Amino acid sequence: MSLFRRPTAYVAATIVLFLSGCSAATVAQSPSNPAAPAAVEMDNCGTMISFAAPPERIVAVKSSSLELLLALGASEKIVGAAFLDGPLPDSLADQGAKVPILSERLPSREAVLEVEPDLIFAGWESNFSSDGVGERTSLEKLGVGTYVAPAACTALGYKPDPLTFDHVFDGFVELGEIIDEGQAAKALVDEQAAELAAIVPDKRNLSTVWYSSGKDQPFVGAGLGAPEMIMSAAGLNNVFADVDDSWASTSWESVAQANPDVIVLVDATWNTAAAKVDLLQANPVTAHLDAVRMNRYIIVDFPATEAGVRSVDAVTAIVDQLSSL
Amino acid sequence: MKRVVLTSQLSPDEPRASHDRRSSRSVIAACVLAVTALVSLFAAIVTGPADISPMEVMGSLWGHLTGGIPAMSPLRDAIIWEGRVPRVLTAAAVGGGLALCGAVMQALTRNPLADPYLLGLSSGASLGAVIVIVLGVSVALPVAAFMGALLALLFTMTLAKGAGALSQASVVLAGLAVSSAFAALTSLVIFWSATGDSYREILSWLLGSLGGADWSDVAVAMVAVVVCAVPLLGGSRSLDGLLLGDTAAEALGIAVVRTRSMLFACVALLTGALVAVSGSIGFIGLIVPHAVRLVAGGTHRALLPLSFLVGSIFLVWADTLARVMFEPRELPVGIVTSLIGGPIFAVLLLRMSRGRRASGF
Repeated sequence: MSLFRRPTAYVAATIVLFLSGCSAATVAQSPSNPAAPAAVEMDNCGTMISFAAPPERIVAVKSSSLELLLALGASEKIVGAAFLDGPLPDSLADQGAKVPILSERLPSREAVLEVEPDLIFAGWESNFSSDGVGERTSLEKLGVGTYVAPAACTALGYKPDPLTFDHVFDGFVELGEIIDEGQAAKALVDEQAAELAAIVPDKRNLSTVWYSSGKDQPFVGAGLGAPEMIMSAAGLNNVFADVDDSWASTSWESVAQANPDVIVLVDATWNTAAAKVDLLQANPVTAHLDAVRMNRYIIVDFPATEAGVRSVDAVTAIVDQLSSL
Repeated sequence: MKRVVLTSQLSPDEPRASHDRRSSRSVIAACVLAVTALVSLFAAIVTGPADISPMEVMGSLWGHLTGGIPAMSPLRDAIIWEGRVPRVLTAAAVGGGLALCGAVMQALTRNPLADPYLLGLSSGASLGAVIVIVLGVSVALPVAAFMGALLALLFTMTLAKGAGALSQASVVLAGLAVSSAFAALTSLVIFWSATGDSYREILSWLLGSLGGADWSDVAVAMVAVVVCAVPLLGGSRSLDGLLLGDTAAEALGIAVVRTRSMLFACVALLTGALVAVSGSIGFIGLIVPHAVRLVAGGTHRALLPLSFLVGSIFLVWADTLARVMFEPRELPVGIVTSLIGGPIFAVLLLRMSRGRRASGF
């Protein structure tokens, strides 16, 4: 291992790897050495991954990944985080305070490899690309494990259809298995399942639009993804529940036609809920919506809108806000 | 090679009989197209994802045009009067304007592949827009897009002049250089700062969208069309002359340099305004003039107004498709125009090459 802590040695080894064309596993004596039986092996979004030993040096890409790792008590194993959507929630802020931020945007493969991770846990499959942190197969060859929360799989047969809290909780357990935090994962699932069960959904059968982004064409929560999962758990009727996708670009006319009782606004640092309110009031069509005229908005943090440890919190937050409408 | 597509161009000494036949055919075509355009406008306003009957549309239009209050809920009325009507009118102005610009650019540069975006205008406008969207600069998006387009135009013209007095080749090449540079800057800004899902908005803008069209967009697009169309239409005789080459044009008494600069500036202004309103919508400026030439010949007195009408009708329908094809989802209209435009262009290309062979060119 000490050999690989030195960048020059690392680069040299990488060059040797490419020149000889042999697998990284044999040279680097990484955990994925085929000789040793894999302790954990699974099909992750269509990519076979295996871990002979639990990863000790994890890089988290996107907030949902970092938050789950912290919630499982793995903060000591995180060597870096990147491409976060916003600040950590208060409940995780202390644990996450010491996590080094590798990059505010999506880092390059080399920038991630520099911290010598043995697992990269990404929020989106698309983060694993040649212009992102690297293709999954090429990372695996270097002995770096890759993992995407199963809730975020996009390939046919892997994409949850529709996403449910069971998928989200299964993801907690699966990650717990990989990083040897099975106990913590089980406790987290029990806690969140209990919290979810205790939520009393709004009974008024209110219709809603989950407005995520977009000026000319509103980008809204559709029928299969985290927005629909969260809205239905909160007792809201998603106007676009029939659209077979997680999110969809739609039109203001379709929103106006539905004239929802309330509008869920996603609050992102780069596109705040307040900016969305201004936009809805300024647009001459949406200005006439009942929800806009009566200020019936529900605000959800962007990082909470992707399936993960904050999904149940998002339901709670929505139900709380609904009760005061 | 440059002139192959323009060989149906009417030369000044063409026999009178043929000239009369052509022009009467153009008048009939103009009448038919004008009626088609009006019908298309109404049909497009009646069509949309919301269930609104033609009677309701009539009620809303009648109400607003006569200054009364339409007898329907304010929201339904807003869907029609604040949503569909300005959007369809904007589509008509933008489509017509782009086709007009395309026809003029093809003549000015004597290049059949010329389109309104040739001078780097769309890249300049895109850069301006992306800076506003991504960096949150507090300038209205259309203003920024317009400034970007003007800046690109300025660079192109300066570069072209430096390279050889606004000859058509140097303008095209300068446009290419400026276009690449601005496109790279746009990519840089996106790459540098796209946070979360903010790239979505950029993408939809870059592909061209009329989803945000309101009455102020109608005003911008209409005013730009009117202001620029007057000198462009007035320059149709000069364009006929310029097509014959600079020397021949000068012999015909056309002040080549001045005319070309003025017409370039008009096209740039108009394109800048249109891109500011709708993003860069592809293919209209390229294909519509070619299609019209097949029917009406090449005199610009006929070509320009007919191109305007055909461009309007084309974009109105393309946008209607974008709105309802996958309802309640919506596509950026630029995808639709390119999807339809590509095959049409292929057909035109084949027809033209056949015509060329027959006529010995």
